[in-house]
Amino acid sequence: MMNRKASYYKSVVIGGSAGSFSIVSKILAGIKSDFRYPIIVCLHRLKHIRSGLLEGINLKSNLPVLEPFDKDNMEAGKVYLAPSNYHLFVEFDSTFSLSTEEVHNHSRPSIDYTFSSASTSFREKVIGIILTGANKDGATGMHEIHKKKGYTIVQDPLTCDVDTMPKAALQLFTPDQILSPDGIIEFLNNL
Amino acid sequence: MGNLTFKTYLEELKKHTPYNFCEYSDNSIQRRIDKVLKDHKMTLEDLLHLTRTDEAFVENLVDEITVNTTELFRNMETWEHLYTKVFPNLKSKKNINIWHAGCSTGQEVYSNLILFNELGLLDKVKVVATDINQKVISNAKKAEYLYSAHQSSIQDYNEFIKKYNSNAHTFEHYCDMEKNTDKFVFKDFLKKKVGYMRHDLVSQDIPFYQKFDVIFCRNVLIYFNPELQMRIVRKFFDKLYDGGVLILGNHEALHGFFKTRFIRSGMVYTKSSTFQFKYK
Ligand SMILES: C[S@@+](CC[C@H](N)C(=O)[O-])C[C@H]1O[C@@H](n2cnc3c(N)ncnc32)[C@H](O)[C@@H]1O
Repeated sequence: MMNRKASYYKSVVIGGSAGSFSIVSKILAGIKSDFRYPIIVCLHRLKHIRSGLLEGINLKSNLPVLEPFDKDNMEAGKVYLAPSNYHLFVEFDSTFSLSTEEVHNHSRPSIDYTFSSASTSFREKVIGIILTGANKDGATGMHEIHKKKGYTIVQDPLTCDVDTMPKAALQLFTPDQILSPDGIIEFLNNL
Repeated sequence: MGNLTFKTYLEELKKHTPYNFCEYSDNSIQRRIDKVLKDHKMTLEDLLHLTRTDEAFVENLVDEITVNTTELFRNMETWEHLYTKVFPNLKSKKNINIWHAGCSTGQEVYSNLILFNELGLLDKVKVVATDINQKVISNAKKAEYLYSAHQSSIQDYNEFIKKYNSNAHTFEHYCDMEKNTDKFVFKDFLKKKVGYMRHDLVSQDIPFYQKFDVIFCRNVLIYFNPELQMRIVRKFFDKLYDGGVLILGNHEALHGFFKTRFIRSGMVYTKSSTFQFKYK
């Protein structure tokens, strides 16, 4: 990290399944309010719960959290939550595209899709973080970030309620770091 | 040809066929093409060869590239808004012209017709529905669907309509259930209201002379890049009466110039007449 310039990264992408809500909340509550990258969060949602997920996450977050509209620009210091029932893609010009195509790994939004589009568009300038989850969605996306030389962090399976997601990622490649939620917060605050 | 990219492929597709996907959103069109390559176990070079030589293959390709997912009463809150706030304003009109652009397999069209019938306005309604994909247009015409795939939307509709009118027809009034199968088909009095047509928003002019009171274009523009979106929205703007409405999908927005030419309420964008139009 040492020799990478200020504002090197274009975004941080975080993925987890429905159960990772409390971890994401914790991370966003712990992150400093002057954080200078956009954060994209893709969480699996329980079907047919018209959730207060956005409200819930916003409650404690130090950064504003919003569900992007199609072709919105991403801005530093904002958190973008993938809207329910849409896949969220990152485009080359730092805008978002939405899609309603078929579920992937039983999921829409799919973490793989968001992650792999971020790695296609930003190549090494992306930080991928995969959290606790009960599904392998996200592992392939993380692997792609890794292959394009982005920075990868997997939540320590020992700190996960359900470790299927992190373990699926660890089976595919060796990430730059394996961290606890507190470790992730510290890492982000030192970027 | 070793370094053929999906962009140059799209240029070739445009040159050799009526189809132009060059200005679709990069990431999603690229992934759709990758999916085609994977499904057919072919290279981009193979794909290009077939594109140049095999017309039937190209038609099938359009079906594979386009995203046709749809639902009955998709995003119920939008339909609720239309039923309570928007459509009742059309009562005084002699005719109500409606266009569904990118109608896919027709669920959106029949959802809408049901609401107009519930408002007692079905007789005034003239509906056209278009899509680039010939296959989905044929299916929309058939109006035949699987009950199990639509069950939860049907329940949502029945709950919604009873909330506003305890004498309302339930969904079952509008279709015939096929005995011993999972299929249902919409009744003729709805089906015959719709003129379906294959039409490409990108490379063809709008094929209608009349203007519209309501244009649905939901979850179609998300597949286009911002410049293309703008060009298509301009066409819609020109084809709407003053006070007419454009209905977009749940997380779509108008950007740039047209943001100021429509008044937004939820996903419903009302064309503001040039006379009323003032900067605040
Ligand atoms: C996701 S579906 C939306 C269906 C419906 N409007 C809804 O929201 O449920 C998108 C549709 O747009 C159609 N489409 C894509 N490009 C088009 C074009 N250039 N012209 C007309 N239709 C197009 C696709 O074939 C597909 O059926």
